[in-house]
Amino acid sequence: MTPSDPDAAAPAGGEAQPRLPPRAALSPWTLIKRFLTMREGSISIVTIALIVYFSLSIPAFFTSSNFQTLLTYFTWLAILAGGEVFLMINGEIDLSIGGVYLFAPLLFYEIAGGGISLVPAVILTILVCTGIGVVNGVVTAILGVNSFITTLGTLFALEGLTLIVSHAEQLNMPGSAVSTSANGSSHLGTFASIFGAGVYSELVWAVVIIAIMQIALTRTRWGLHTIAVGSNRIAAAEAGVKVRLVVIRNFMVCSSLAGLVGIMEAVRSQSISPDPSSSNSVLLDAIAAAVIGGTLLAGGSGTIVGAFIGALFLGVLQDGLAIKGVNADYLDFYLGIAILFAMLINVYVGRVRRRSGVG
Amino acid sequence: MSGVFAGGLALADQSPPEELVVAPVSAPEDVLRVEHLAKSFGQVTALRDVSMHLKKGEVLGLLGDNGAGKSTLVKTICGFQKQDSGQMWLHGQPYEPKSVQHARELGVDVVYQDLALIDELSVYQNMFLCREERHSGLPFLNSAKMKREARKVLNDIGIRLPRLDVPVARLSGGQRQSIAVARGVYSNADILLLDEPLAAMGAKEGAMILELIARLKQEGKLSIIMILHNYVHVLESCDRVNMIVDGAIALDKPTAETSVLELNEIVVEQYRRARQAAQVQDVA
Repeated sequence: MTPSDPDAAAPAGGEAQPRLPPRAALSPWTLIKRFLTMREGSISIVTIALIVYFSLSIPAFFTSSNFQTLLTYFTWLAILAGGEVFLMINGEIDLSIGGVYLFAPLLFYEIAGGGISLVPAVILTILVCTGIGVVNGVVTAILGVNSFITTLGTLFALEGLTLIVSHAEQLNMPGSAVSTSANGSSHLGTFASIFGAGVYSELVWAVVIIAIMQIALTRTRWGLHTIAVGSNRIAAAEAGVKVRLVVIRNFMVCSSLAGLVGIMEAVRSQSISPDPSSSNSVLLDAIAAAVIGGTLLAGGSGTIVGAFIGALFLGVLQDGLAIKGVNADYLDFYLGIAILFAMLINVYVGRVRRRSGVG
Repeated sequence: MSGVFAGGLALADQSPPEELVVAPVSAPEDVLRVEHLAKSFGQVTALRDVSMHLKKGEVLGLLGDNGAGKSTLVKTICGFQKQDSGQMWLHGQPYEPKSVQHARELGVDVVYQDLALIDELSVYQNMFLCREERHSGLPFLNSAKMKREARKVLNDIGIRLPRLDVPVARLSGGQRQSIAVARGVYSNADILLLDEPLAAMGAKEGAMILELIARLKQEGKLSIIMILHNYVHVLESCDRVNMIVDGAIALDKPTAETSVLELNEIVVEQYRRARQAAQVQDVA
């Protein structure tokens, strides 16, 4: 609290003053308590505890080579979850990201196969994905169909379309080929290095996208209106927020990110696998990461950084269990229990936060 | 207004009650004029035939029973919804607001009955919702400036809040109401619509808002339409009173020419008419 702070210097008179925590003289315990009651606090602690556990129990876990493996588990998931968070704050959900994730690389394949160079083909593909977001948004926000139903429809439609166009056959992803030089060393092309196949490529994309989205959520009019629409749609409309536009815009962003991730994952794996079961799993993981990270399904609040940490938590868990050699049959079981456990902690911390008046 | 009580005499002969509709009135100093406004929601007629006017610097009290159409009228004037028929004029020009934002740009702002506050957002974020201050040339919000301005406005109207960065969900009903009113006052509008501004307030907080309205009236820049339920407040704070009955204006009088007793009588008469109409229907 500084004298120059007009907020803090304000008189505290009046009859019905809210009971607020003091702003000065924060003890270490208060700081720890505040951190733990942040939306991202509890899942951060759980994720760190999980990393410590795997590091102590598996020597191969805390190594640079495993770090590179870990990236392939969570970076793409963080980007998908980031897009989903914006919609979930709106009180909506986008299931079609699974379909977009599956369809985008195939569309890219067709566009690039038509003679358009790789980067413009990526841009065109993402624009089409943005268009899918517009369709989802218009059907939901203007025609009034529940977003769960709207995007379930587009999910199935896109998955079906992918199977029809690809004849359910695996294809080679354009631009991902690895060349081998005379001395036998292999080289990635620039396109592949940037769009997913480079070791840290997806991490860089994830960090940049998450940072931009977190800033957008907390520091821009778009973020403020997103929270307003999710918290109280009627009040937001009465205040002048263009509710439909906000919802449609968030569907567009969500779909665009799903398209980007679909392309990057196909470049990384060098192939297009038209397998709806994998895309459905991707979709559920993205929603799980967003929820574990502290975003409410009910709308009105959420955190992009939390979604990143939620994705990291899921990645660490899957990676750690895989290195531990846990039977694949048990993997989903442990994963489910861990998600429930993390969510219970989140719910508890949320209650503590409300009681302590943090927000 | 001579026809207001005419229907009461008709009770004896069991004929249907006479229409209570004030004809359109206009004056050169009108800032807002509404003629034959109608609005229905499906089978429900919210506004049947509303004609009213607001003079510059005037405080107009709008009275009426629950469901009479007061809030619908306010929401139509502020651009939240569009009328089915009828016209509006603002400063003598045709007025057709396309949205709340558009109406605000034209100088008409509103404080809703439900306050239109977002629980998850802070005091200053709510006050600046849809008129956010940004750093020049950048898309980023200028929170420091918004807090400063919000503090100034709240101080000006005598509302004391220790912090402006707390979610409004944690404030009392009166404090929330104060913030909604402050938001309307801050808007630089020249016409302000207040839908039950004292609804959630204690006596002291209510007096503060009435004092603010008196001050605004004295300054003469704002013209105000205010929905109220308390007749004493209407007579104390308003220059003129309109009573809305069944979606039409049934009374238009300067407050100096009426009294709590007369307003009460009108309401009693209104109930008598409603009963009479029901009886006529039963007979038919």
